[in-house]
Amino acid sequence: MFVPRFFRRSLFRRVFLVSGFISIGIIYFLGSNLYGRITDGIINEKINASISEAQSAIQYADYRFIVTGVSSEKDYRSLISEIVKTSNLSARESGREVVLLQSEDRELRGIPAVSTSNFLEPSSIPADFREIVRESDQLIWRKTNLLYVNGESLNGVVIGTLLSLPNVGKYEMYVLFGFDAQQRTIDLIGRSMWGTGLLLIALIMIVASLVLRRVIRPVKYAAEIAEQLTSGDLSKRMEVKGEDEVARLGEAFNEMADTLEQQISRLENLSRLQHRFVSDVSHELRTPLTTIRMASDVIHSARDGFDPNISRSAELLVSQIDRFENLLSDLLEVSRFDAEVATLSLDQIDANLLVRRCVEDLEIASKGRATQFHLSCPADPVMLEADSRRFERIMRNLLANAVDHSEGKPIHVTIKENEAAVSISVRDYGVGLSQPQIERVFDRFWRADPSRSRERGGTGLGLAIAKEDAMLHGGVISVWGELGKGSNFVITLPKVSGIAFSDFPLSEIPTI
Amino acid sequence: MTSIMVVDDDQDLAEMLGIVLNGVGIEVDLVSRGDEAVEVFKNNPPDLVLLDIMLPGLDGIEVCRQIRKQSVRVPIVMLTAKSDTHDIVKGLEAGADDYMVKPFKPSELVARIRTRLRRAGGEISSNLTIGDLAIDIVEHTVSRGGKEIPLTRLEFDLLVALAKEPGRVFTREALLGEVWGYRHSTDTRLVNVHVQRLRAKIEHDPENPTIINTVRGIGYKAGTTGHRG
Repeated sequence: MFVPRFFRRSLFRRVFLVSGFISIGIIYFLGSNLYGRITDGIINEKINASISEAQSAIQYADYRFIVTGVSSEKDYRSLISEIVKTSNLSARESGREVVLLQSEDRELRGIPAVSTSNFLEPSSIPADFREIVRESDQLIWRKTNLLYVNGESLNGVVIGTLLSLPNVGKYEMYVLFGFDAQQRTIDLIGRSMWGTGLLLIALIMIVASLVLRRVIRPVKYAAEIAEQLTSGDLSKRMEVKGEDEVARLGEAFNEMADTLEQQISRLENLSRLQHRFVSDVSHELRTPLTTIRMASDVIHSARDGFDPNISRSAELLVSQIDRFENLLSDLLEVSRFDAEVATLSLDQIDANLLVRRCVEDLEIASKGRATQFHLSCPADPVMLEADSRRFERIMRNLLANAVDHSEGKPIHVTIKENEAAVSISVRDYGVGLSQPQIERVFDRFWRADPSRSRERGGTGLGLAIAKEDAMLHGGVISVWGELGKGSNFVITLPKVSGIAFSDFPLSEIPTI
Repeated sequence: MTSIMVVDDDQDLAEMLGIVLNGVGIEVDLVSRGDEAVEVFKNNPPDLVLLDIMLPGLDGIEVCRQIRKQSVRVPIVMLTAKSDTHDIVKGLEAGADDYMVKPFKPSELVARIRTRLRRAGGEISSNLTIGDLAIDIVEHTVSRGGKEIPLTRLEFDLLVALAKEPGRVFTREALLGEVWGYRHSTDTRLVNVHVQRLRAKIEHDPENPTIINTVRGIGYKAGTTGHRG
């Protein structure tokens, strides 16, 4: 069912409207039922009274015809007009009309076939009703409309029977009663019922809205507090008054908020503690590591005079200390991200310059393996606001990753910018990545192929850290890869840190 | 012979530092407590101080501040196990010229020490003026109206580097290379903190500098027209 937004959004409006409709329905049903019963009662009463009155009038007329025993046309005429008139006069307040009709609609002996009182139209008596009366020797009644010559029309009842006029023949005598007075009573009752009904509905609506407001206010209040809690204000609580259901709602709500606050602060503490621990451990490790490093350097620099095995051991010692140190600083960095204490120190940076320097450094470091880099960048400086240390680390990690997986093939680095963002793509043509591998590529300590040795001795945290670094700037790293065809990593950073952008200068899907 | 005071509570590291530095012909004085370091410095001022931040007695930052009170000129290099911005900036603001994060390569340490001991503006013999400041390269002094302004060696080097080529815009990276001897470093905090310290000493109004101007988004340059007020 279609519910307009206006009602969907508010419990109050919905309940108010539904209860309004239901009470209107009930009041309408009860009212019309009652009205019908009262109307029927009044009308039936009137009909009964009318029947007995008509009976006596007809008996009287019958008696007069017989007793008078008149035979002359003149007598009849006066008698008929007397009966018709008398009936009328004697019962004016009951609105009685009398009609005398010749059964065959013929004028017999100068007596009119139709005599009515008070300009009543003879058509007030339906033809089929006349049929029934003519066939019967009983008193018959039916509801009808009293029609007058002046076009007036009244609800009423017609009662009729067949009379035998001595020496003349069969006549039908009808006595008609209007429901005028009854109709007035009924109308009055109807009007007062309408008034009462409307008043009742208005009252119900008012009461409903008052009750609803009282019930919904705490619900609305709870919703507001819950929203504030969600937005991070954990100290918000509901005010609790009394001992009713609303108060219980408040208490339960507050308990929930307490538990939530405790849990969150516990977790926050935990993550702070964990970060502290990792940070302390790594700091504690740094001092001995410095001593080891210096000692190993002293040994290393004197290795020429050693036995070949010891000399080689000194070399291994130095390289492994490097690796250990990298791992340590990466771990510390990761723990900073986890504890959300990583901060940006922003500067205006020329991406061209920074990327070129990273590439040059790597070319120097990877001499001997001779990985070729092709750098294409705009002629003008590509300025953006970034944390230079982090930006550089992202680039180093992406480039080192590419070198590791390029299998000696050249690596293409492209820089491109638009109004809001700068993209740098690092494309290699080496082993490549499958779709499931792409999904895991930023996982910590994950390796695409565990059987492959790490030539550069990376920590396995490089890409994970690069991703976090990018996210800290409000940027993203997107990846494309296909097994055997290589991979393409695109880092896109906003020109103003933290400002969202929708257009990417470069897509991760490579053109070459 | 050059003498260096090494202040570190880790005996083994201190000894190792001694071995390495002795190996390159530097005499080393080992001190393990912060309060002791201030005393030793007073009695026997070295050519350079290597200072750990976490020290018993008196922490490295406070030691740095006290040594600066006694000597404006002596180069101080902080040794820190923390790479957190906060500690490093605090150390630099307390008067340290440079810092090294543990674990460092011995060769790197030696290179850094040599840079700090080198005399600035070696290739220039004449004196320089920038704004209303007179720089005496030989005497290693800066004065305004005949009155000497005490600068640390590093601040002097920084000022000379900028004043040698007035109007040239130096990027922070270029200054790091020129003054600190880093081939590749993007730790611009070093430059920012020291420029601020230098400004506080030589500018008439450090809030509106006229001698060392900031070039937004790029770096710094020495003002070509002096402020005389």
